[in-house]
Amino acid sequence: MRCGYGLAALPGSDARFFSPETSFLRLPRTVHPTRIKFGSFKVRAKIDEARKEVSFYELLGISETGTMLEIKQAYKQLARRYHPDVSPPDRVEENTERFIRVQEAYETLSDPRRRALYDKDLALGLHLAFSARRRYQSDEDLEDRGEWRNRWQSQLSELKRRSMNRDAGGNMSWGARMRKQREESSKEL
Amino acid sequence: MALCACSFPAIVSCCAAASEPQKSTPFASHLLGGSDLGFHPLLKLNQVKKRPCGVYASLSEGAEYYSSRPATPLLDTINYPIHMKNLSVKELKQLADELRSDVIFNVSKTGGHLGSSLGVVELTVALHYVFNAPRDKILWDVGHQSYPHKILTGRRDKMHTMRQTNGLAGFTKRAESEYDCFGTGHSSTTISAGLGMAVGRDLKGERNNVVAVIGDGAMTAGQAYEAMNNAGYLDSDMIVILNDNKQVSLPTANLDGPIPPVGALSSALSRLQSNRPLRELREVAKGVTKQIGGPMHELAAKVDEYARGMISGSGSTLFEELGLYYIGPVDGHNIDDLVSILKEVKTTKTTGPVLIHVVTEKGRGYPYAERADDKYHGVVKFDPATGKQFKGSSVTQSYTTYFAEALIAEAEADKNIVAIHAAMGGGTGLNLFLRRFPQRCFDVGIAEQHAVTFAAGLACEGLKPFCAIYSSFMQRAYDQVVHDVDLQKLPVRFAMDRAGLVGADGPTHCGAFDVTFMACLPNMVVMAPSDEAELFHMVATAAAIDDRPSCFRYPRGNGIGVQLPPGNKGVPLEIGKGRVLIEGERVALLGYGSAVQSCLAAASLLESYGLQLTVADARFCKPLDHSLIRELAKSHEVLITVEEGSIGGFGSHVAQFLALDGLLDGKVKWRPVVLPDRYIDHGSPADQLAEAGLTPSHIAATVFNVLGQKREALGIMSSRN
Repeated sequence: MRCGYGLAALPGSDARFFSPETSFLRLPRTVHPTRIKFGSFKVRAKIDEARKEVSFYELLGISETGTMLEIKQAYKQLARRYHPDVSPPDRVEENTERFIRVQEAYETLSDPRRRALYDKDLALGLHLAFSARRRYQSDEDLEDRGEWRNRWQSQLSELKRRSMNRDAGGNMSWGARMRKQREESSKEL
Repeated sequence: MALCACSFPAIVSCCAAASEPQKSTPFASHLLGGSDLGFHPLLKLNQVKKRPCGVYASLSEGAEYYSSRPATPLLDTINYPIHMKNLSVKELKQLADELRSDVIFNVSKTGGHLGSSLGVVELTVALHYVFNAPRDKILWDVGHQSYPHKILTGRRDKMHTMRQTNGLAGFTKRAESEYDCFGTGHSSTTISAGLGMAVGRDLKGERNNVVAVIGDGAMTAGQAYEAMNNAGYLDSDMIVILNDNKQVSLPTANLDGPIPPVGALSSALSRLQSNRPLRELREVAKGVTKQIGGPMHELAAKVDEYARGMISGSGSTLFEELGLYYIGPVDGHNIDDLVSILKEVKTTKTTGPVLIHVVTEKGRGYPYAERADDKYHGVVKFDPATGKQFKGSSVTQSYTTYFAEALIAEAEADKNIVAIHAAMGGGTGLNLFLRRFPQRCFDVGIAEQHAVTFAAGLACEGLKPFCAIYSSFMQRAYDQVVHDVDLQKLPVRFAMDRAGLVGADGPTHCGAFDVTFMACLPNMVVMAPSDEAELFHMVATAAAIDDRPSCFRYPRGNGIGVQLPPGNKGVPLEIGKGRVLIEGERVALLGYGSAVQSCLAAASLLESYGLQLTVADARFCKPLDHSLIRELAKSHEVLITVEEGSIGGFGSHVAQFLALDGLLDGKVKWRPVVLPDRYIDHGSPADQLAEAGLTPSHIAATVFNVLGQKREALGIMSSRN
């Protein structure tokens, strides 16, 4: 199953694992290249489509066991072909997005660590495009903070939920016993 | 970085980051240079450097902060936390800004700890807004970040006396205010104390909150884990706030710049801060439990618990395993976030122990501090507008520096010498050693106990470890010194800086007890230099003692100006031999360590009264120079031992020897001069010495008293300035 971008749920996508309608669950925004401000929606849409089925290896036109040299050569060739400066004006947009994809493929595959990760994902049938893996390496930046908020909000809800029946049941901790005692003595008053 | 003008800003922005705009060479070949490409720097491109609000350049050239104290209308209305209760969140933000500038201006006049206080301004405001101190207990670990707390809790008008004699303490102090619920100074104690307060509250049946604020550096100490483990077990309601500013290890730099954090914990914490791929898996897991939901409630809870632990990243799992509920990371400079989280946790009943992981930036809001390598952790007086510190100039350097230089010289000659410190590279001078011998200097984090046993292990392998730990912090590692080092007679060398009174840091950092607890150990060689040249020799002596442990203590402060040995290489002293500095008669002053200088000053005071005193430097407390003591006792009427330490130290060992040798049965009168049996408050070194009764005048007066010349004694005491 090669579709889906990253591990996050897409509303309306394969619904086997995800229940998109819970308000409690804050699903992250779909994993589009949010960090790269694209000039036009058209380009972005094209990328969405085009990225669906093609792995990095296929994109570069090499086998999955390609050596570094092969990867480099393939990248050079494609970069030269698709670079916006050298492409005819009517094909610029299309070539641009191809170029970007080739760029990303090269980045991932030329770094042995990232390539290993990518290969692992590929084996699992997940095609992680653009930013998903990159986030692993990038320093935490300001946009993290927004994601943090989602996280701790859900943690807070979880805390509240847990605290409902925390002191119930058998095996009670010291703290639970003291709290119960306090409740009882305040009821007596 | 300039972006090329191009109709496709997308491409340019991602590619231009890798190449300079002015380079017109073929694009591809530049990119294939193998450097980390495009998208990574793009993130930095689009980031705007966050300028702290309300800060602008003052009139003076190049200055990046106010030069005179800005108006603080809102802060002026707040004397106690209760005055904050009606503020809106917007006003709280303004309050935080005003508080920040207040801290900066106060510290600029008095010196003190700046960076840490700036990092917790928003946290302090949020805590006092949400909780009701003093009924709710807020504990500040180490306490050096408590300046904003003190300002908000009724001590704003005394901030100009910070760290001065009879002024505010630089750390939290129970005797100072009811809002300081626990005294701190050494690190990693607040979770333990907080748990104690929480349990006490439970036993009394009360309902207040307990909040312990602890930093990521302090988290490296074992006691924090001991406390969290116990807290998880007892399950008493309390909140631990982990103030994470990625500075695990302090000061935060070596001589050449910031060093990456020490220890595995920091990487766990930073993983926590950025574990997005794992977070998504967690959302998945949550989705699973949501599907199950309903009557399968219990099972779902268990699944979530498990998923949480498995998936939340190794850092939070650590806390969760210990039994604390982990929330975070949270932006520690966003008052909205902080207030809402704290309110939620406060209103939730029966939470058990909760850990809120707050991420802050040390030195935040003061551009010079943000940029400095040490984040202006501890500063002397400085100019707020330019950040320039007014460091006094001195002819001599500090004992700390001399120690480092001595150790480097020894290590040049002997490749087995290694140095260990516990997160005090700057304070012990070992940053200098680190620069020279990067492979032979070990920073273990705030873990003195581990440092000592670690050194013991090194000694087993034939290396020559020098453990540089402050006298006061050595107290933590005492069992390790006794059991792991002394009992087995392992040749570990202890270099105890900050021995004796330490000035502005106060009793929490005072090294009063090290002579007492080191000299009572059977195998330990205990010595103290009277000046910096002696320090060089004692480092060499310690390096030469290879069959048993040894230690030496030296004070805070600068050298007196004697000539240093050539090449910084000391000559090993004969063990158990002191020296006589001045030959005299009738009265002998036997000093130990830096007290010898006071003895010399006392002797010159008494010369004008016609008394020629003998002044001797004992050098060794263990083994004592028996022949010297015998000689002094036999040829003088009065023998006074002087040391800057507590009872049970050098003087007591001399007395023991005198008694056992029968010398007390004769005609000599022995008197000790030691630190009094109480804690000396913070203040200037001169004030502290006077308070303790260890000034040359005090020593001279003691001489007169013993000689029966009470009038002269009074005269000396009343004429001192």
